Amino acid sequence: MNTYLLQLKRSPRAIAGIAILLIWIIAAIAGPSLLPYTYTGMDMDNQMVAPGEAGHLLGTDALGRDVFSRIIYGSRSILTIALLTSLLSSIAGIIIGFTAGYFGGIVDTIFLRIMDILMAIPPLVLAMVVLGILGNSTIVGLTIIVSIAFTPATARVARGALLTCKSNEYVDAARIRGESHLYIMFVEILPNTIGPVIVEITARFAYSIMMIASLGFLGVGLQPPTPDWGMMVIENKSLIRAAPWTVLYPSLAIASLVIAISLFSDFVSKVMINEE
Amino acid sequence: MKKSIMVCAVFLLAAAMVFAGGAQETEEKMTIRVAEQVPNLITPGAWDGQAFSLNGSIYDYLIEMDAETGELVPSLATEWSSPEGKVWTFKLRRGVKFHDGSDFTSADVKFTLERTQDPDLGHLKAQDFENLEKIETPDDHTVVITLKEAAPTFNFIFTDYNMAILSSDYDYASKGESAPMGTGPFKLEQLIPKESALLVKNNEYWDSGLPKADELRIYFVPDIDSSVSLLEAGEVDIVPQISPIIKKRLEGMDGFKVVSPYQESRFIALADDREPFSDNRVRLAFKYTMDPEILAKACQGTLGETIFYNETPIVNALAQYKEIPFRGRDIDKAKELLDEAGYPDGLTVEFFYASDHPYGSDIAQTLKELAAPAGIELDLKGFPRDIYLSQHWMDGPMLLTGWGVRVDPSMLLMLAFHSEGPWNESHIDNPRIDELIESIRGEVDPEVRQTYYDELQEIFHEEGTVINLQVPYLVGVSDAVSDYRQPVTMLPQLEYTTIK
Amino acid sequence: MDFLKRFAKRLGFTLLTILAMSILIFFLVEIMPGDVAQTVLGQSATEESVAALRDRMGLDDPLHERYLRWAGGFIRGDLGESLYMRGVQINTIFWRKVGHSIVLAFTALLFYVPLSILFGVFAGVKEGKTPDAIISFVGLATMALPEFVSGIILITVFAVGLDILPITSVIPIGENLWQNLEILVLPALSITFVMFGYVSRMQRSSMVSVMKADYIRAAILKGMPRRYVIFRHALKNALLPTITIIGMNMGWLFGGLIVVETLFGFPGLGSLTMSAIKTRDIPLIEACVLFITFIFVFSTFITDMLYAFLNPRIRYKRGDV
Repeated sequence: MNTYLLQLKRSPRAIAGIAILLIWIIAAIAGPSLLPYTYTGMDMDNQMVAPGEAGHLLGTDALGRDVFSRIIYGSRSILTIALLTSLLSSIAGIIIGFTAGYFGGIVDTIFLRIMDILMAIPPLVLAMVVLGILGNSTIVGLTIIVSIAFTPATARVARGALLTCKSNEYVDAARIRGESHLYIMFVEILPNTIGPVIVEITARFAYSIMMIASLGFLGVGLQPPTPDWGMMVIENKSLIRAAPWTVLYPSLAIASLVIAISLFSDFVSKVMINEE
Repeated sequence: MKKSIMVCAVFLLAAAMVFAGGAQETEEKMTIRVAEQVPNLITPGAWDGQAFSLNGSIYDYLIEMDAETGELVPSLATEWSSPEGKVWTFKLRRGVKFHDGSDFTSADVKFTLERTQDPDLGHLKAQDFENLEKIETPDDHTVVITLKEAAPTFNFIFTDYNMAILSSDYDYASKGESAPMGTGPFKLEQLIPKESALLVKNNEYWDSGLPKADELRIYFVPDIDSSVSLLEAGEVDIVPQISPIIKKRLEGMDGFKVVSPYQESRFIALADDREPFSDNRVRLAFKYTMDPEILAKACQGTLGETIFYNETPIVNALAQYKEIPFRGRDIDKAKELLDEAGYPDGLTVEFFYASDHPYGSDIAQTLKELAAPAGIELDLKGFPRDIYLSQHWMDGPMLLTGWGVRVDPSMLLMLAFHSEGPWNESHIDNPRIDELIESIRGEVDPEVRQTYYDELQEIFHEEGTVINLQVPYLVGVSDAVSDYRQPVTMLPQLEYTTIK
Repeated sequence: MDFLKRFAKRLGFTLLTILAMSILIFFLVEIMPGDVAQTVLGQSATEESVAALRDRMGLDDPLHERYLRWAGGFIRGDLGESLYMRGVQINTIFWRKVGHSIVLAFTALLFYVPLSILFGVFAGVKEGKTPDAIISFVGLATMALPEFVSGIILITVFAVGLDILPITSVIPIGENLWQNLEILVLPALSITFVMFGYVSRMQRSSMVSVMKADYIRAAILKGMPRRYVIFRHALKNALLPTITIIGMNMGWLFGGLIVVETLFGFPGLGSLTMSAIKTRDIPLIEACVLFITFIFVFSTFITDMLYAFLNPRIRYKRGDV
């Protein structure tokens, strides 16, 4: 643990990333209770006021809703969904990838082919078609579909990680002890592949944010009035001249969050790879 | 180093190539350029939500409406009469030709009317013409329509945007929307589906002197915001169906104006045939949560000037409208009513609407905010307009739908508020209302008719299934445009429009 | 011989992937809720007319028959008829938009490939120094932005602020894309933003590892000019992984076009897909998605072959592509 901290000290970029990410996490957890406005509260006497005016830090939108409050509330849904999708797709990926890599042979070949085929359709297109046709997404629906769209990629990473330590002695030892396949896979191998797995989860976290924001932008994400950042951008796009704050600040929120996570995941991958 | 220079050179070349291309305006022709947000739906009757600039220009109608006075004026029919409202005789204009050169005759009118009953088509006017008994064509320029039951205002139906007169020679099954043609002021020259349409002046047009422009260029731009940026960039002259936000934006700029040719309705339908609005107390409770002032602001307008609110299907602007004072927002009263109806802890109801229709999303979100304090939780279900209309409309506990104004309100009542009405979206089934609508349609004396209208509106106010929010239909035009006409039939009359 | 064998094998697999994808896409779209005939006729249609239309469209036939009919049409080059615009063959709209998207993709390629290789090499050569840190941070930041965010920033700067480029990409009637190349700039730049980070990072790391290779060190130690070594020897070897990455991302780029084209209203495959989804035009959705898949699979295949061709030493190992 100390070595991690030491490395962290030497990486100002990683510190910046973690700091921004922490700010967003705190905002998501504690922010809403501290805000003077709710995300749907309509201040009809102050429609589209500029940042700083009439007590609205980042101004209001066309319905007189506080942009700052909407962004803070919006961090909740995007962080929750992104975290869930990166975890779910990684877990599913580990299960599928490990099974394939562990048993090898025909299982592995079939697995590889199926994953290749599934990866031929870009995740964004897949999610968009499904959500677009089903219409009207909920947090649960969005999470499941994005996770499924990501699973082929995570499964390949997990399989690769397993293959690197499959032939290690402790695996053979466990096998000789007569441990079950499940035990070997998840108790013996998993802890030893934790590096690449964590790298994958953090990278996936950033992808998830981008993907969810893009789906919101395309109008197949969450329903209004939920303050989804991507949706806020498209909802207010026609105000880009009259009230640019309604478009720019949600965009900057997305940008800051994804950049922060990328800086963090960059650091994680450096640390994990150096370790090996 | 050599390589890096080469790489730079390639890049600069590419950039230069990209910047070099510029459009050149050469023609001296008078061209009207329109950006439509709806894709090119053309075949009348088959779909709702056509690109009206295209429809109104390619086709003619038997009867048109004067955009200024709202009176019915002759178009393809020169005169019409019906002594008792049962047998209707239409005299047709002579010497009119379709764009393919064929003559317009009574057979085409007969074809158009019979087409409404084609089961394969699902014609939007099917129900309106079920009343047809027979159509006779004694000669090429006379059509005699006999109805099963008298309908004194039957002629109004021919101004409807779905009632464009079609050629009986055109093969709709195979050509469909690829090469539509009619007798209208502009002929379709080139159509690139989902992208653009080029129409040219119909030199044979029966109304000499029209159209005034030589060319009509219509771009199909799916997103309203992109359409308006084309207007601002001077690439188009007219953008119909803009949102109130965009109106504000254009008003702040030089060189553009926003015209509002007419008001249209947004009906908030509370379904009578399912929980929770089947109970009138819940409907009343919901009505008590309304705040017309707030709704008007959400629509970026002013109550009583640009935005109107009432709880009956009759819009304020019509002569048939009866003024009933607004009940006032009263959350306690609403809670009390909900309690009586068996919802002491409030309730949740799914609310379907078209999220990309002007005003749609703003109204929906405001309603949710207004109703919440009384414990009525609206579960918003917004869909793209086409999906809303084809999948959810007519089939939800609560709906928000855009309705054009019918000059003869009885058409709308029959369509949407009679228990047998084909577009009875709120599934209202009130015998007295049915009776009143039927009486209105059969009554010849306007004064007696008005007494029916008055009673009907009182019933609607107390136990109706609709909240009627009237909003301006907005069109953004550049200052170069003059004489943009669009009556409440929603069909723009671009033949009069000129461009400086 | 080895190469040919590999070629045949990969080609076979590529075709198999497309076949499997076509089945997947067809079934995915077909099992979605919502009756197609009902969609066509609208909610106010009577049950008889819906039934009649179902019959006429063959919707009651078994699923596999419908798939074979559909796939057969595709093989003959018949993409079917649009549901939304009756009587309009998808072929008459589709290829024009695909052409526009290909032009857009290649414009983006012209922007980002030289840019990112240049900066990637520069960063790789200056590994660990300030220019490297700046370039990698910029790369990371641009890569992290979803296309619509970079697009909004570009619109704010170039269209709203400076007013020199169009926000909306529309082709005036009677003209073609080549006469309106300026509409490509902002959409292509939005793609460049995302791809720059990706490709320059790849280029940097391959440059770094090549620069550490023995033969490069030896060359520099022998007293050859550093610049000469970098551009003559190192770059040649360091470009290979980059080319692979660029090729592999072609399909991904086509997916990303949906966002970019929607933002700018660009008349291409992406906005066509979006509008097909919005209007529930099932045959059009199927055609669009299958084509995007097709681009992805074939660009992967071609890259793979190119890689093997350029670098015959590489042994083909299954699954390690």
